[in-house]
Amino acid sequence: MQNRFARACWLATACVGLCAVVAAQQDAAPPSVLFDAKPTPILSGGVAFVPTWEGGDPTLVSIVSPVVLVPLGNNFVFESRAEFEGDFQRRQGNSGDFTGAIDKSLEYAQVDYIGNRYVTFTVGRFLTPFNIFNERLYPNWIRNTQSDPLIFPIGTGSDNGVMLRGGVEVGKDVTLNYAVYFSTLSNLNHLESERHAGMRAGIFMPHERLEIGGSVQHEFEDARFNRYGAHLVWQPQRIPFDLRAEGVYSHEEGNGLWAEGAYRLHNAGPAMLRRLQLVARTQLFYASTFTALNPDLPATDTKRTEGGFNYYLNDGWKALASYGRTFTSLGNSNIWTVGMTYRFLFPLGATR
Amino acid sequence: MKAFVTRMVLALALAITASAVAGNAPRPAQSAGAGSEGAPTAEMNEKWMIEGQKRFLINCGRCHQSPHLFSPRVMSTAVRHMRVRAMLTQEDMDYLLYYMTHQ
Repeated sequence: MQNRFARACWLATACVGLCAVVAAQQDAAPPSVLFDAKPTPILSGGVAFVPTWEGGDPTLVSIVSPVVLVPLGNNFVFESRAEFEGDFQRRQGNSGDFTGAIDKSLEYAQVDYIGNRYVTFTVGRFLTPFNIFNERLYPNWIRNTQSDPLIFPIGTGSDNGVMLRGGVEVGKDVTLNYAVYFSTLSNLNHLESERHAGMRAGIFMPHERLEIGGSVQHEFEDARFNRYGAHLVWQPQRIPFDLRAEGVYSHEEGNGLWAEGAYRLHNAGPAMLRRLQLVARTQLFYASTFTALNPDLPATDTKRTEGGFNYYLNDGWKALASYGRTFTSLGNSNIWTVGMTYRFLFPLGATR
Repeated sequence: MKAFVTRMVLALALAITASAVAGNAPRPAQSAGAGSEGAPTAEMNEKWMIEGQKRFLINCGRCHQSPHLFSPRVMSTAVRHMRVRAMLTQEDMDYLLYYMTHQ
C-alpha cells in the first residue's frame, strides 16, 4: 500500500515537473500587465473576539493572527502566519473570574518560488493542503461560521517539508488546481508536524462557479493509514449564495461531513440589510473505534446544526452571532456565539 | 520509506530543473493591441478591466469580501500571496493585478 502510494506521489510530482517543461513551449500570452510596481512587504492578518457559550459554560475566545508577506525578487515570496489565541474560561465553570493561557502557534513560515504558470515550489512550514477549510477558510474574518468543523482535526494542521502546487487553465471554462506535499516528523514546540505525504486536486469551472476536488494523505507514522477528503464550493451566478461542503473518511480516525450555506442580502430594499449575511451549517461525525488516535476529535458520534448571521460593518469589520445544537449519545447541548472580527493590512515598506 | 524519500527528492529535482528551464521562456512583452509606447490602448484597458472584475468576483469573492484598495506595490505583494494561497492561475494573477491597480 505504501509502495503504491509512494509511486503515485512520485508520478504526480514528476508530471508536475514535466508540465513545467511543456510550459516553456506553451507560454501562451495572458494579458501583459507590465507595470513597474515593485512588490513591497506587508503586514496583514485578523483579530477576533468571539465569546462562545457551549453547554452553558462561557469561553472568551480572543485571537490575534498576524500575517507577514515579504516578496523576494521577482519570483520568491516569504509568508508567515502566527496565531495567538486565548480561550478564557471561568474558574468554577459558570462563576468566578476568567482565566486561561494564551496558545501561541506558528501556522506557516514558508518560502514560495513561483517557477512558472504551472508550478509553485514551497519549502518550510506550510498549512496542510487537505480539503480546503484549513488553507482558505480558517481565518476568523473569512469563515462564515465561527466554530471549527467537527472533522477539521482530520488531516489538517501544519506541515514541515516541501510542496508543489499550482493552478492551471486547462480549457476556456476549466481550471485545474493541485498540491503535492511531503512532511517530516517534528516534535519541536510550536513546530510540530507529522511524517506524511499527500495530494489534493480540484477542478474549478469559473462559468458555473463550481469547484469540486479530492484529497488523499498517507501517514508514515505508527499505524501507516490513509485519509481521504472531498470538497465542494458553489456560488450560483444569479443569487448571492455560497455553498461549501467537505467530507472526510479515515478508517482509523472517523468520518464525517459538513455543509454550509450563506445568503447575502445584496438585493434587499433597505441599504442596511444589504450588509447582512444569513448562514446555516450542518455536520455529522462518526467516531472510529480508535478514538485515542486523535484526541481533538469528538469521542462519540456527533451531529451539530448551526444558524446565524454575519453583518459586514465596513471593509474590515464583521459582527456575528449564531446558535447551534449539538446532538450526541451522551447528551445534547447548545452552542451560542457572538462577536466581532477585523481584518487589517499595513505596508511595511515604500508604497510608491 | 527511504525509497519514497529518494523518489520524492528526485522528482523535486526534476521539477525544479524543468521549472528553471521553463522560467527562462520569455513572458510576452506588451501584448497585441498595446499602444506604440507600451501603454495599453483604451480598448485593451476596458477589456482587461472587465475581465479583471469578473475574475475578482469569481476567485476572490468565493472566500472573502473585497479588500481596501492599496497602492500597486502593496497589491502586487497581496496578489502574489494569493496566487499561492488560493491557487490562482497566471492569467488570474495578471488580470486581478491589472484590475486592482487601475480602478
